[in-house]
Amino acid sequence: MPAFAGSATARNLTLEAARDASLAGRSSARPLPVQQLKKLLDSRNDRDVLEGLRRVISLTYTRRAPTLPLFSSVIKNIASPSLEIKKLVYIYLLHHAEAEPDTALLSINTIQKSLSDSNPQLRALALRVMSGIRVPVISQIVSLGIKKGVGDMSPYVRRAAALAVPKCYRLDPGTGPQLVEYLGTLLGDREYFVAGAAVAAFLEVCPDRIDLVHMHYRGLVRKLVDMDEWGQLATLRLLMVYARKCFPRRTRRVRRGGESTKSKSVGRGFYDDEPTEEKEEDDNDSNYEEVVLLDPDLEHLLNASRPLLQSRNSAAILAVARLYFYLGTPPYLQSAIGPLISLLRSPPDIQHLALHNIVQVCLAHPDLFVPYTSHFLLKRTDTPSIQTLKLELLTLVFPHSAPSLQSLILAELSHFAKSHSTALVRASVRAIGRCATRSTPATASRCLHLLLAHLSSQDTHLVAESLEVVRHLIQRDPHAHVSTVIRLAKNLDGAQSAQARASIVWLVGEFAALVPSEEFIAADVLRILVKGFADEQVGVQAQIVLLAAKVYLGFLNGRKVEEGERERGATSSPLRDPEAGGLDLPGNEDGGFRDRVSEAQSVGPTAEGEGQKHAIELLWQHVLLLARYSTSYDLRDRTRLYRALLSTPSSTELASLLLLAPKPVPTIPSPSESRKGYVLGSASLVVGDEGGVGGLRGYEALPEWVKEGEEPDPRLRDEAGSGGRTEYERNRIVPASEMLDTAAADRPVAVKANGVRERNLDDWLAEGEEDDDDDEEDEEDDGTEEETETEEDTSEEEGEESSSEDEGERDRLVK
Amino acid sequence: MSAIEALYIFDEHNNLLLDHVYTGRPPSPNVLLPLYLAHASPRPSLIYLPNTNPPSLLHSLLQDRLLFLSPCSHDVEPLLVAEFLHRVADALEDFLGSPLLASKIEGSYDVVAQLLGEMCDAGIVATTEPNPLRDVVEAPSWMKSLLGSAGLPSSSPALSGPTSTPSFLPPPPPPPPTSTTAPPPWRRHNVRHTSNELYVDILETLSATFSPSGLPLCASASGTIAFTSKVSGIPDLLLILSAPGGGGITSVFENPVFHPCVRLARWRDRPGELSFVPPDGRFVLAGYGADLLGREYLAELGKGVDPTKAQARLGLPATLHVSTALGSMGDEFEVRLSLNPRFANAKGGAGASAAAFAPSLGTASGGFGGGNGGRPKPLPFAMATKADSANPSLADAVVRVPVPPGVRNLVELKVNRGEAVYAPGDRVLEWRVGQKDIAALLGVGAGVATLRATVVGMAEDEEPADDSGGGMTGMKGETWEYDDAAPMGAYQAASTRKGNEKDMKVAAEQRDAKAVRKNALLMPSEATLSFRVKGWLASGIKVERLSVDTKASRGLGAGVQPYKGVKYLTVSDEGIEVRC
Repeated sequence: MPAFAGSATARNLTLEAARDASLAGRSSARPLPVQQLKKLLDSRNDRDVLEGLRRVISLTYTRRAPTLPLFSSVIKNIASPSLEIKKLVYIYLLHHAEAEPDTALLSINTIQKSLSDSNPQLRALALRVMSGIRVPVISQIVSLGIKKGVGDMSPYVRRAAALAVPKCYRLDPGTGPQLVEYLGTLLGDREYFVAGAAVAAFLEVCPDRIDLVHMHYRGLVRKLVDMDEWGQLATLRLLMVYARKCFPRRTRRVRRGGESTKSKSVGRGFYDDEPTEEKEEDDNDSNYEEVVLLDPDLEHLLNASRPLLQSRNSAAILAVARLYFYLGTPPYLQSAIGPLISLLRSPPDIQHLALHNIVQVCLAHPDLFVPYTSHFLLKRTDTPSIQTLKLELLTLVFPHSAPSLQSLILAELSHFAKSHSTALVRASVRAIGRCATRSTPATASRCLHLLLAHLSSQDTHLVAESLEVVRHLIQRDPHAHVSTVIRLAKNLDGAQSAQARASIVWLVGEFAALVPSEEFIAADVLRILVKGFADEQVGVQAQIVLLAAKVYLGFLNGRKVEEGERERGATSSPLRDPEAGGLDLPGNEDGGFRDRVSEAQSVGPTAEGEGQKHAIELLWQHVLLLARYSTSYDLRDRTRLYRALLSTPSSTELASLLLLAPKPVPTIPSPSESRKGYVLGSASLVVGDEGGVGGLRGYEALPEWVKEGEEPDPRLRDEAGSGGRTEYERNRIVPASEMLDTAAADRPVAVKANGVRERNLDDWLAEGEEDDDDDEEDEEDDGTEEETETEEDTSEEEGEESSSEDEGERDRLVK
Repeated sequence: MSAIEALYIFDEHNNLLLDHVYTGRPPSPNVLLPLYLAHASPRPSLIYLPNTNPPSLLHSLLQDRLLFLSPCSHDVEPLLVAEFLHRVADALEDFLGSPLLASKIEGSYDVVAQLLGEMCDAGIVATTEPNPLRDVVEAPSWMKSLLGSAGLPSSSPALSGPTSTPSFLPPPPPPPPTSTTAPPPWRRHNVRHTSNELYVDILETLSATFSPSGLPLCASASGTIAFTSKVSGIPDLLLILSAPGGGGITSVFENPVFHPCVRLARWRDRPGELSFVPPDGRFVLAGYGADLLGREYLAELGKGVDPTKAQARLGLPATLHVSTALGSMGDEFEVRLSLNPRFANAKGGAGASAAAFAPSLGTASGGFGGGNGGRPKPLPFAMATKADSANPSLADAVVRVPVPPGVRNLVELKVNRGEAVYAPGDRVLEWRVGQKDIAALLGVGAGVATLRATVVGMAEDEEPADDSGGGMTGMKGETWEYDDAAPMGAYQAASTRKGNEKDMKVAAEQRDAKAVRKNALLMPSEATLSFRVKGWLASGIKVERLSVDTKASRGLGAGVQPYKGVKYLTVSDEGIEVRC
């Protein structure tokens, strides 16, 4: 949530300063020597002990000095009646128990005693700490402690028990079976925040035991709205997997029109009480459409999670969107799009993560995002990664948007193509290219025009990048772009960037092979280029050599065809052909071999035959010669390869195969396309293939829909087992806040004289319901217990809290 | 899945402030920090580090210049961790005071340790709500430490402000029977305040993008309703919001998110009414987005929209216009800041002067003017009857012009108002127009301030020789005559209007043309505007009523009428962006 800026008044600031000063004074920066610390810890004065502990904790955190030597002195205070001291000792214990297992074991007894303390918070704390001590030998004790906690009256303790389960499991996986049993009980806990914690623990310990979930499925779905955010996240995760494993995807072909209502599930009278609704999915079939039949239980889940789309927790919003994406029907997904977009209001770190997910949804359903296009416009304050993702979204939306919107997107892209950041220029130009490939020919040519306009820019990056994309576009449909290539070739004189020149030369070469009429241009281009060969950069030189090879090959092939025709027409000798290279053939071949032996000799024969040769042949020879003296060995290598390939003018098959191979049409996938396989919301999706194929460690793909007939019996989800509870649960479908409302209206003044403080929302709600007497009483007992405890404790507490000298004195006397 | 394996906090100098390991054996902070810093700033919030042991995902958050890192060895939902880090930062801020400073954390490690222990239990996120946290962790109280050191008993819980665990309090003065009811999970137990106060602060962050012609491309405000409740017992509140125009609140209150305390059913049935039992203290009640141009705007855009009218509809307090490639060499640019007279400081005459601003728009060359403040709706004048929101005041206007990397210096920096700051080598030119200047500008009536600067490129020797033929790079514009294209939309025509080819052809001298082309690369491509306006909301949302439902509330005490305050604030933090 954004912080509220500028609300600090002068008064606030003054207070701030005062507080800061006093804080700084409380635990001064100068560390005390170990001896003195020990003395503080061993002191009988609570205030000194507290001070000592504070210093020890500070040291532990800053790692300025080792605090392990103080272990026994600290642990000694675990039995202190003061809660504050206890808490700090616990913190220290959790930090260091692993290093000093034996001494830590000594403290277990005291902690265990606290498990039966009358104060629920202390019990919960003790359970949390005991399970957190990483000493494997105590696993059985912890397990027993959890068992006790599961049956505790106080929901706080039950929650602590749920959270302790994974810790105990990590300590000793052998306790697994017992733990799973506890979890089974906890999953059905009627308290929202116990159930949420139980689900989180369940996911960690035994995520595959969905058989445990059946019974609690409906209960969990009902509690979903009222759980805390983290419980909601865990539950949504569990239920998504559960749904895939338990609800087969049923579809039905229905005649288009009003008939769909008629086809209500026939054989499912079991769920008569719940509404069955069919959602429609568009299908290409004109008369029939595929209708997804949602299992009523699944639909219950989808509807119950809808309020979470207004959660302030971005992860919860995404989790619901994920649920709708993988389980729901289009109308559900549609309702999640707006909330997804609302994530763009969050701080940049969350925005970035959310955008990755939005892009994935957009890849699957781009049309849904069209109305939100203006949210994807780039801002200057966006981080580069956010900008790239937004560009991608713009291109994904592009083909589906109206022409006016398309103009806007193109203008936007072309603005950023002129920006000063190289990465952004590249991303935007590529984005224009993607727009071009994904739309109608008219729009595509508009994109192409835009790119070609960039070619006259002064910005090297922009020119090179634009040309690259133009090349891709031309390659997709070469025959339509002959004139474009001619234009490009004409601009070769002006193009300065090596990459751009190389790109153009390559294109010309490619067209020399494709379009016979292009021969003239290609040869001419080659002639002009050869003149400045020496001044070109290596990359361009390589392309020139390649172009020469292609032109020469084209020439050879053309001659062969001519010869073949002539042979067929008149059986005259082929040698009479004025352009015939037949005579030079051996010489040429020799030259090829010879120059491996001696470079100097090869000049002779090439120079000799000049008179009779066709210009193209001469050009080829010349290029070979030029390249031979290049300093780049790569270039020389390439040249040698081409020469060998083309050394026999009569057999050009191999050369044709190599040089004129049809190039695969370059596809320009959206950058995030490669992440399509990852489940929404996962870290693998954000990291991408960098994390290794198949996702990061711990990544779990979504299970496939269970096959029809293999799903577990739906009756398992019946809550018959819970007996009378069902009636009670039924009443609580309404969200807590609503109940609050009604309960408050029913009983304007609560008269509860016994001073119960430890009750929570649920009990509060239950007040309005007289049928829940048992629970009520339990809680009251609990409350009174605690009350007495409070009395005892506070007298001690007071002393320590006030930290005053005489209070502390009295405290000592009490002890 | 244990999401959180460890939390490391570093101060602004990247010294380790704190490391808290929750579970497993995550890589140590000394290993992670250099790997994190190895990424170029701004660093992504999620980084995958394959070379640590174990290979880790590193989540990070920068808040108040403190760096929060959390490594994780397996795939967990990144948003969950990100949200958790935010909550930790919020909780620390709540307990230690805002802004969060390194010294504050250092001063109260004991509190921080307790907090971190409560917020996450061995990797599973547990209690993150500030109110329940207050119930179990005692906030460091300066009052207490002051009293403590003075040797006075701090018996009164009311004095120590947010107090400790209720169960351990000294026996409170016999509470009124009504206050014993347990509050909902997000509210602290036994809240007691001597002065009962309720504050609603609505903050909107404005962001708008304008095309070179001055046409708004998008304009939206993201709003946050922060609520401060200092009321005893368990109050039940009702906040009614209203929005201008006929569309009702839902037309501006888009995709809202709510604090869990808000009764969603009530909102669904009666939009605009927020009914809730607030947590104690300050919290964010709701967040929303408002599209200031309306949903059909994008469609309208195709039919051709007059930029001036569109701007008038927005009624922003200030707008910018940038003209580039001015002067004979094309090396100058000008930024014009136009203030909306409606946002003059709270003087009696300000409201009246709103009627007189129309003539001042004569300067509107190129469809750009003084940012007309008159909304088409009668709202502004209705509001004019109220004291505060009638005279919203504009403050802290800052124009930032990002300077392209090729620029060596800006010379002849001229402003007619305010103060422009630029040092050679800076990437941003900053132009601050202070309160006094704004007042003066609006007093004059024209409300337009200008900045003009000349760019100087890199030294000549770094450029290719001039006689090489085609300028620095690229192709010659003259030879370009591609004719295969479909006609461009009106928008393109507008945006490419500034393209330098045409200017160049017109230019008499080839040499000048070359310079213009060269300088075109040095021209800024956008400018941004920041400001803050008190007493005005871009979306026009208003708090109609805030009432305490005395029937549903408990423990409030009979006849207590809490003090209520409402504040509006609109901020643009480089949110207004003008392309050129």
